[in-house]
Amino acid sequence: MSAGENHDEGIVLLCGEVRTGLLPAHQALDIRAAAQLLRLRADERVLVSERPNLYARSPDTLTGVDCPLPSASGAKVRAVGTVAVRGTLTEGRVLQTSARLGLAARGPDHRRPWGHYLVRPGTLEPFGRLPREAVAEGVLAGARRGELDVGLIADGLLTQLLRHPLLDQHPPFKSRPTRLRWTALPAEAGAGGPSIERLTLAEDELRTLRLRVPPGADPAEVAGLCEDLALHDWLLTTVVRLLDGSRLGSADGTAVVRALRPAVDHLLHLWMPRARLEPSLAALWDVLEERPGFTRQWQVLVRRIRDQLALHAIPALHQEAVMAP
Amino acid sequence: MTEAVFRETAAEPRTQAVPLSHLSLELGHLYMEDFEAGPERLRRHFAQVVHWAEAVREATRAATGKRPRISTCFLIDDYFTRFSTPRELVPILLAEAERAGLTVDYLARESGCAEAEGAPVAEAVAGRLVESPPPGAYGARPPAGQTGWLANGERSPAARTPQAMKKAIPWQAPRETAARQHSVFLDVELWSERPGGGKLWSCPFLAAVWQLARLGLLRDEGRAVLTPRPHEGPFPDDWDEMPPLLQLQSRAAPFAAYRTCSVLPNRFVPVEHAVRVILDQTEVDPGALGQVAGRSAGEGVAVPDSVADRISYVFYAGQ
Amino acid sequence: MLVFAASDKGGTGRSVTSANLAYQRALLGDHVAYVDFDFGSPTAAAVFDVPGAIRGIQENGLHSYLEGETNEPAKIDVWRQTEHPVLRNRPNQAGRLVLFPGNISGGEFATDDETLERCVDLLLRLNTEFDLIVVDLSAGRSYAMDMVLAATAHPRMRHVPFRWLVFHRWTRQHVIAAAGLVHKDHGILDCGAGHGHHKDTLRGHIRFVRAAVPDPESPLWSQVTPAQAAWMQACDEALRRLASDNRIGDSVVLGVVPLEPILQWREQLITEEDVLSKQIANKETLEALEEIARRLTDDTHWGRP
Repeated sequence: MSAGENHDEGIVLLCGEVRTGLLPAHQALDIRAAAQLLRLRADERVLVSERPNLYARSPDTLTGVDCPLPSASGAKVRAVGTVAVRGTLTEGRVLQTSARLGLAARGPDHRRPWGHYLVRPGTLEPFGRLPREAVAEGVLAGARRGELDVGLIADGLLTQLLRHPLLDQHPPFKSRPTRLRWTALPAEAGAGGPSIERLTLAEDELRTLRLRVPPGADPAEVAGLCEDLALHDWLLTTVVRLLDGSRLGSADGTAVVRALRPAVDHLLHLWMPRARLEPSLAALWDVLEERPGFTRQWQVLVRRIRDQLALHAIPALHQEAVMAP
Repeated sequence: MTEAVFRETAAEPRTQAVPLSHLSLELGHLYMEDFEAGPERLRRHFAQVVHWAEAVREATRAATGKRPRISTCFLIDDYFTRFSTPRELVPILLAEAERAGLTVDYLARESGCAEAEGAPVAEAVAGRLVESPPPGAYGARPPAGQTGWLANGERSPAARTPQAMKKAIPWQAPRETAARQHSVFLDVELWSERPGGGKLWSCPFLAAVWQLARLGLLRDEGRAVLTPRPHEGPFPDDWDEMPPLLQLQSRAAPFAAYRTCSVLPNRFVPVEHAVRVILDQTEVDPGALGQVAGRSAGEGVAVPDSVADRISYVFYAGQ
Repeated sequence: MLVFAASDKGGTGRSVTSANLAYQRALLGDHVAYVDFDFGSPTAAAVFDVPGAIRGIQENGLHSYLEGETNEPAKIDVWRQTEHPVLRNRPNQAGRLVLFPGNISGGEFATDDETLERCVDLLLRLNTEFDLIVVDLSAGRSYAMDMVLAATAHPRMRHVPFRWLVFHRWTRQHVIAAAGLVHKDHGILDCGAGHGHHKDTLRGHIRFVRAAVPDPESPLWSQVTPAQAAWMQACDEALRRLASDNRIGDSVVLGVVPLEPILQWREQLITEEDVLSKQIANKETLEALEEIARRLTDDTHWGRP
């Protein structure tokens, strides 16, 4: 028998969704409060880590599903099993919930006793053969009503966490959450390590990511990569919006400072790609650094913000410069 | 993370292993009414149990093909009602068992299934319930469930005031998810609220926890819980002073086992049906599950995947 | 900030005016959500000119969300999905304008504890994202009104500022009805106090908007006889006295929207283009809407210096 999800040889498709947003609390949570927030189970420790940044991660919890899978070809494939979902908090500021599942290549044409699925946490078995390409595309395109919706499961945990009494529901600035939907198919034989096939910024809030990973890759590690990408994409998106809304160049210096200050107070220190990734997955970041250049863009943004604040910190000089002939 | 030079212990989950027998054989539960009925009731009980126990041992021997490790245990209720004292009761119990030719290796208190040495055991198991999804469940939050209840299927929809001008829905039958043609629908009360606050765990729920303890599948932050303490000296005057799980025979086989069997009078049938419904929807600690799987595979002993399938019963006619 | 739009009677222009306020605030650069809690007759789709976008989301509206049938209520990005030719070009520096529609065929429904929690979840999430959230409530004393009064008194909502706008027309019956909706039995104050609001504080968060007010000075009435003009003046004065006697006098009025012929014909957003190039709407109407929109967050109009 196989107990852990990573021992199941039959998994041929991983997918998941990550929700990322600002924690609605005026002060960032310290590591103890973070652990309290994410304590989803009385008997399982929250993973807390202080190097290289403050990070807390809840134990996995499971949601049972029995429904058709989304599929690009329109094929109706029913699947039964559990979806694993966990929450993370980075630097007491950015809250993420992440749901993931692995799909087996095939399964029987009937539903088995529930206990069978429970000892394979985070795994779904299809009825019959899994049309994995079609399902992978279907997942990224989004579920229709009644089809497996991983995003809803991530959102369910988010709702639960957001109701926690530790949160004063008083976020220091306005921001938008993002969603990153991902799939990972096994890499072709001989293709070597994992690769990013496609990262799309679909709508304002939705990103889709198509990965290839070596067969047998640990779904929790792959989800970890997606959480890391989602976190940094959210940071970029959020800081770009703060700059957008600040009306740079307008004469009102205090307004600019007011608009940009949250970035300095709460966001600029959060940039730390691949902090906790398994080394072969961390290598995927190199691709993104090359194009579109995540860190490059971040550094430019940080410099702009610092320049703006420096400019407005010296109002007298600023005035003189404007008035000089 | 592999080959890491830097480590944070708080960031690394670990699961403590427990020793395992082939079978945990339960010789009975004792409730206040049994005690009040006098030692004769215990005598009659053990007189029945001894035959079935022998049959169970024989069956286990046949299945394992060698000398199996079998431990026996007995559970006393000190949770729902407090009666007598360990000093008074335990010797009577052990004497009656011995008279029938039975040995009790481990003695447990039911309140240990609620909380054992500071570990919130029942609360932890409640946090691990994963409801079996009815067909069509696609990830939306389940409709406001009956908090504190667990069913083996879909309940009849609650009568709810419909939106203006919409028709009220007529009654619909509940449905057992694993039904074949017809349903045996069961809805189990897991706990109720105590008048002063806090949860009063139900008998089936604690019985499910008891089964998990006997299967070696309970952990608290990776630490084994409800581990046996050796018995020393006389039995105390207060149940609270007795360890939740007491090892009476120093040379007994390990308390936890790959499988369990309980010999009980048939009035326990409804409770044990409920136990199955609970265990069938409990996600046990994957680390503990993996240890049992690894160990049994190493010994060449078959253990069913599904936790609910690891437990068995003998129900005899009688009180 | 949350702004609740309420009215005692239908036909007060509550929906269309509050939608215009949302639009005006978005033009000023705010990110604005318009939440359609008018459960009896959701009309926001028509005002924002998004009928096509609405059709696809019959099942995911706010009704479904509050009843727990869907977890994510449908939303419509007005700039992107509107069929209105002017709105489609999102002005530079404008904030987001997002409509959260009700179900097409949804009606009023009873609320329970879980509905309330879900309502709080929704409002809190919107509050993290939007600068202004306009919530359009059904006319009269409704489940929706009761729900948002309970929601704003909920401990989780303690840091979320809110304000109420009560819309009424400038007639005897409407003045009395609007005052009753706030001050009388089972009114907003009564009901709010029942949910734990402090009555005086809640009163301080309520302002009135007089809608479709005929201005005797307006060119609309330039053809009336002197007798008619005098009668109108007298009526106007009598109404002012009545309003004041009913505790909804000028001091608690946030603004007055003049009678606007095009709004009588069609519920719609009034754009600058309607006033300037098409000249189908009156400049005074647009100015009144702009002014009320500005006053929504101007504390001096809310009893605070």
